[in-house]
Amino acid sequence: MATNNSPDELDEVLDRIAERNPSRLGVGRAGSRPRTPTLLEFRSDHGVARDAVHSHVSDELIETMELFAVQTLVEDKDEYLARPDKGREISEATAELLRDSCQRAPQVQLIVADGLSSTAVERNIPDLLPILTDGLDQRGLDVGTPVFVTYGRVDVMDAIGEEIDAECCVILIGERPGLATAESLSAYMVYGPERGTPTAKKTVISNIHDGGLPPVEAGAEIADLVDEMCDKQASGLDLTSADREFAKD
Amino acid sequence: MVFEPPADAASTLTSVGIDVGTTTTHLVVSELAVESAGVSGAEKLEIGDRTVCFRGPVHETPLLTPEAVDIERVAEHIDADLAAAGVAPEDIDTGAVIVTGETARTANAEPLAHQLADENGSFVVATAGAALEAILAGQGAGSATHAADSETTIANVDVGGGTTNTAIFDVDGVIETRCLNVGGRLVGVADGKLTKLADPARRVSEKHSLDLSVGKPVDAEKLSRLAAAMASLVIDSLLGPPYNQLTLQLSIGPLPKKPLEVDAIVFTGGVGRLVGEYTISTASADPFAYNDLGPLLAEALAETAADSQLSVIRLSEDLRATVIGAGTHTTRLSGRTICVDSELLPLRNLPVISAGSLAEIDDSALTATFSTVFSQATRWYDVRDVGGVAVGIEELGELSYDRLQEVAVSFASALNDNYPPSVPIVVVTEQNCAKALGQLLEARCVDWPLTVIDELAVGTGSYLDIGEPLTHSETVPAVVKTLVFGE
Repeated sequence: MATNNSPDELDEVLDRIAERNPSRLGVGRAGSRPRTPTLLEFRSDHGVARDAVHSHVSDELIETMELFAVQTLVEDKDEYLARPDKGREISEATAELLRDSCQRAPQVQLIVADGLSSTAVERNIPDLLPILTDGLDQRGLDVGTPVFVTYGRVDVMDAIGEEIDAECCVILIGERPGLATAESLSAYMVYGPERGTPTAKKTVISNIHDGGLPPVEAGAEIADLVDEMCDKQASGLDLTSADREFAKD
Repeated sequence: MVFEPPADAASTLTSVGIDVGTTTTHLVVSELAVESAGVSGAEKLEIGDRTVCFRGPVHETPLLTPEAVDIERVAEHIDADLAAAGVAPEDIDTGAVIVTGETARTANAEPLAHQLADENGSFVVATAGAALEAILAGQGAGSATHAADSETTIANVDVGGGTTNTAIFDVDGVIETRCLNVGGRLVGVADGKLTKLADPARRVSEKHSLDLSVGKPVDAEKLSRLAAAMASLVIDSLLGPPYNQLTLQLSIGPLPKKPLEVDAIVFTGGVGRLVGEYTISTASADPFAYNDLGPLLAEALAETAADSQLSVIRLSEDLRATVIGAGTHTTRLSGRTICVDSELLPLRNLPVISAGSLAEIDDSALTATFSTVFSQATRWYDVRDVGGVAVGIEELGELSYDRLQEVAVSFASALNDNYPPSVPIVVVTEQNCAKALGQLLEARCVDWPLTVIDELAVGTGSYLDIGEPLTHSETVPAVVKTLVFGE
């Protein structure tokens, strides 16, 4: 409906729209450029995003969560960004270490990886991992030794799963940060992991953070999905939502 | 090129609305579009477009006696209307039966509502209550949407045969309701004689010393004055406080304690739709064509509103506002990740007790809080008899693993001490945490059939119905409603 709003009313309308939206709306301008506060905020958000990529997950978190820590073929952050292929593979020595130190052939292998946001791991794992483990235990699934991978890409779960001979793998990995949040985590899942498994065979839950899917709720959701993957012996497109049995027949 | 999404049976719900009112009974059939909303990872299904595809004829509500509705004949009308709409009861996914106005006070209103709800569709719910009626009328008439779109405060005044139910909406939705025992059918006229003067009308008449009594010849001038007095009570209820003494006596439920600035009024309902249409000076029609006070009351309302400088606007739906509201606005959808015992569904008419916000309650006091909730539940209701209760939780506090575990442990311990085993228990949270809380509770409450749903707000005194999950989804339709008969 067309109304003649006063400037004050228009401000109110704009505020209401901006409140419901994480975008930088109605921030104004100074000539053809952004205003100083806008520019500073943008730079600050960009800084947070860069920090998420370049920082490391603390030893404290790895210890508290009782994760077995390993590293991919990547040597440092620069190489991590330049060589995604190396972030998907582990050395023979690491493979041997995993085989010797971790439970072999579990039904579910849990992996946490820094990925592109160590911040996401720090923020979400303490709430997500325990409820996920509880949920898997409650369903009687055999969960192996949880592993932490430094410089990991999603597909490193194929290599680790294959070496450990897991029935299925879940990798909880920091997402590429944006300017709205640098705390977002994804969970990728695969049934019957082996090197070279196509992406289509992988199931994903993304946008796990306080402003998206809360980590604790995500943990319970992943437990449910993993149970179904083990039951149907499938993941990814082979486990399409249409086949999921929710409706009572 | 136009991209057309594949036709999906699950993307629409067929909904029925049935209104059995003081004067009239009618039915509408609507299609509700189910759409995905929210950010990725936390998507939620929501009801989007609501299209009314069939408006049934208006029937006179059949009565056996002034105190009892003829359930059989109401059911016949409904069957005939559904047949005319080309809809079989089994095609109906959801909807609501609302027993409104004076009919809600008849002796058999409650069984009537439940019977109609059970017979027509898999998840049609029974509702009653003046406040709910007021809100549904405002939603059905489009007042709620108009208030949101124009960013104004709108009073939707639904004037029917027995009651006048006002709901006030602003940009964010309903603010409050103001309901009065004023309506067109409180007075009956036939063959030039007064045939009915229901108690509320009699009180107004006495207050104004109009000396009206049943059996006497109709005095149009006196009845106009009665209508004017009733209309002034309606407007008084909108403008107050302070309220006229008689307004307070005729109010249904409490009236708000603070006055409110209203930008415009929308009149709906059988009498409301005549407001602005009917004036004695221009009408050649008989003011008693409906054998009641309706036209005179409508005329008086228009005049009184104008005298009080209130702006009156018209929207598309008037007569059928409540029934359309019942058919299109009662059903809501839960969050997507929930924990349901689908063997239990549908669950009907579960009384709700709210635990309120737990955010400020620390671990040591949680068990006591839940114990109070469960002991209230068992004191107020025979929980076996009503099929369980629903516990609402406004806010759990921080959504951390530790906090959820504290809540689950306390809940289980309180349940164990205060609530009989094997009786269903439903938990409704406003935060998105049903699956996590459900998992933690399932491990600790093995003796109870448990369902946890989220992203819905419920309050003590309301009732909850939960339908079966939508096809290919983990979302359930849910209705939070009132069931106030004989208010």
